[in-house]
Amino acid sequence: MEAGGNARIEVERSILESADEAATAIRALLSGQEIYALNLISSPGSGKTTLIEALLARFDGKGGIAVVEGDIETEIDAERIRKHGVQVRQINTRSSCHIQPSRLLSVLREMDLSKTRLLLVENVGNLVCPAEVPLGEDARVVLLSVTEGDEKPLKYPLVFRTSDLLVITKTDLLPYVMFDVDRVRRAARAANPAVEIFEVSATTGAGMSALLDRIEAMRAAKKK
Amino acid sequence: MHELGVANDILGIALSEAERNAAKKVTSIRLRVGVMRAVEPENLSFLFGHLARGTPAEGAQLEIVEEPVRIECAACGISEARSFTFACPRCNGPDISVTGGDSLSILSLDVDT
Repeated sequence: MEAGGNARIEVERSILESADEAATAIRALLSGQEIYALNLISSPGSGKTTLIEALLARFDGKGGIAVVEGDIETEIDAERIRKHGVQVRQINTRSSCHIQPSRLLSVLREMDLSKTRLLLVENVGNLVCPAEVPLGEDARVVLLSVTEGDEKPLKYPLVFRTSDLLVITKTDLLPYVMFDVDRVRRAARAANPAVEIFEVSATTGAGMSALLDRIEAMRAAKKK
Repeated sequence: MHELGVANDILGIALSEAERNAAKKVTSIRLRVGVMRAVEPENLSFLFGHLARGTPAEGAQLEIVEEPVRIECAACGISEARSFTFACPRCNGPDISVTGGDSLSILSLDVDT
């Protein structure tokens, strides 16, 4: 290029390429050790940590579960999970509203995953940014509590389009809120015809065993 | 605030491409942004401008080419839309598949050499 002039450089590069590379590295790391990974996404307070606790209780004593908690600040969730005696790491994302795959990759490299068969990654609580950034997970789970309203699949289509499981939580509260489960089911299926939908209440236990069975079956299906 | 991470990645790529091409200054950056990406252009430009201070990309303009979603409607064929939709924007038919609209890439840089 001649000095003192101007020019156009054709680039055509994905802005997410470094994130995609890190996600690919995570996938390779997990597959090499036969670990099944779930990326849990929802609004704050929809029940991600509670679902993790239910999974830990279900597989208690068998071991094999590791947890990575993502939050903008605090170790509160990691401390909650640590009480169950499993390996857990907290990622504080500070200014970022989702877990960056590069950050997850370095955390996973520090962990002892030799006995891990199921990795649960709890993303930062929101329905926008985590949907855009794959973490190399085997399956993505979006949780939607009935108190949030039934229009969420219309407002946040990307997360519903890219998730393998939709878990409708806090169904014991359905009598007290305006939430049309069929409307959510229709909208979620329109965004992603292959999505599997579960309705659960951690308080009453309704629907939980079907969901936990499914997650266990998905994990087992990956094992070679 | 996810624009902050996007702005940071744009700056990183722009600076590395400018250096590779021995450019002195980046004056404009053309981006293709899918409508599914929920990127707010004004917010992105503001954050980029802040991050680019003191670099060869200081003052560079972001030019955003919007990528629509592609709708295949069983009743009336293919069309495009500027947002995700659950019914065909042309005939209101419900039997549609919506794809695309998820690009997030740098197309080209205008530079001073």
